[in-house]
Amino acid sequence: MSFEQIINGENQETPPLAPVPARVIRTTSDAVDMELLKAFEELQSDDGSDLIVELIDLYLKDAPQRMLAIREAALENEWGLLKRAVHNLKGSSANLGVRLVAETCIKLERIECEHSTEGVRKLLQQMDDEFARASEVLLSERQRRLQ
Amino acid sequence: MLPDRLRVSERVLIADDDPVMRHLITTIIKQQKYEAVVAEDGRAAYRILQSDSDFKAAILDMTMPFLEGLDLIRYMRTEKRLMRISIMMITAEQDIKLMASSFSAGATAFLPKPFTPERLQSAIRMLLGNRHLRRIAA
Repeated sequence: MSFEQIINGENQETPPLAPVPARVIRTTSDAVDMELLKAFEELQSDDGSDLIVELIDLYLKDAPQRMLAIREAALENEWGLLKRAVHNLKGSSANLGVRLVAETCIKLERIECEHSTEGVRKLLQQMDDEFARASEVLLSERQRRLQ
Repeated sequence: MLPDRLRVSERVLIADDDPVMRHLITTIIKQQKYEAVVAEDGRAAYRILQSDSDFKAAILDMTMPFLEGLDLIRYMRTEKRLMRISIMMITAEQDIKLMASSFSAGATAFLPKPFTPERLQSAIRMLLGNRHLRRIAA
């Protein structure tokens, strides 16, 4: 996402999964809803493993594959495949609190791809940017939990 | 030993192509002292169900490759040996019509994403706790 897009608050029209104030410059801390992620602590298993670390690992392994599938579908104008892959990424992102990636997925699901390839391209870039920001937060949380 | 028709299974079928969701649901199922049988897509779940009906419940994602959750429910509700299995549908779709479609196909419970861990846990507890449960919108 470009600086202009951020200060113009272009996300205002997207129904948020968790409200993010418009016209606020986003930082890495906006990328992940830590409260939602940490709520998984109540499900910790008895075997001593850290469920949150496991979920972060699974997400960081799976999401790039989904994003690659989305990009490939966009390149080949396979809009049905694109929407399906976006749908999958949206679900896991939203549940782990990776809300800005989830919000970008919602925009991608709603866009009329055939009529707005430039719009799709911009959203794919936004998805990459938001995922990079979220990864930073998730990896930092992972590191913290393993110490 | 109880005859098969009276024995309550302690296994739960989980079908979801999202590894994060599979892990999350499996963790809760194990906490509830049930055995989780995992399928990575709708076709894999269908293949399991063709030869195995020993499940207390099935937790299905709506959108999966090869075979969708709704198709699996319809299959399960036409097979006598699978009819007693409680089914919960999970979906990231926000469309209320999908809940109606799931229930009319034969789902027992419906859980839209995103959900809190508490909500997921409680929906699974309800699904496993009452074999006569019908139509829960979690």
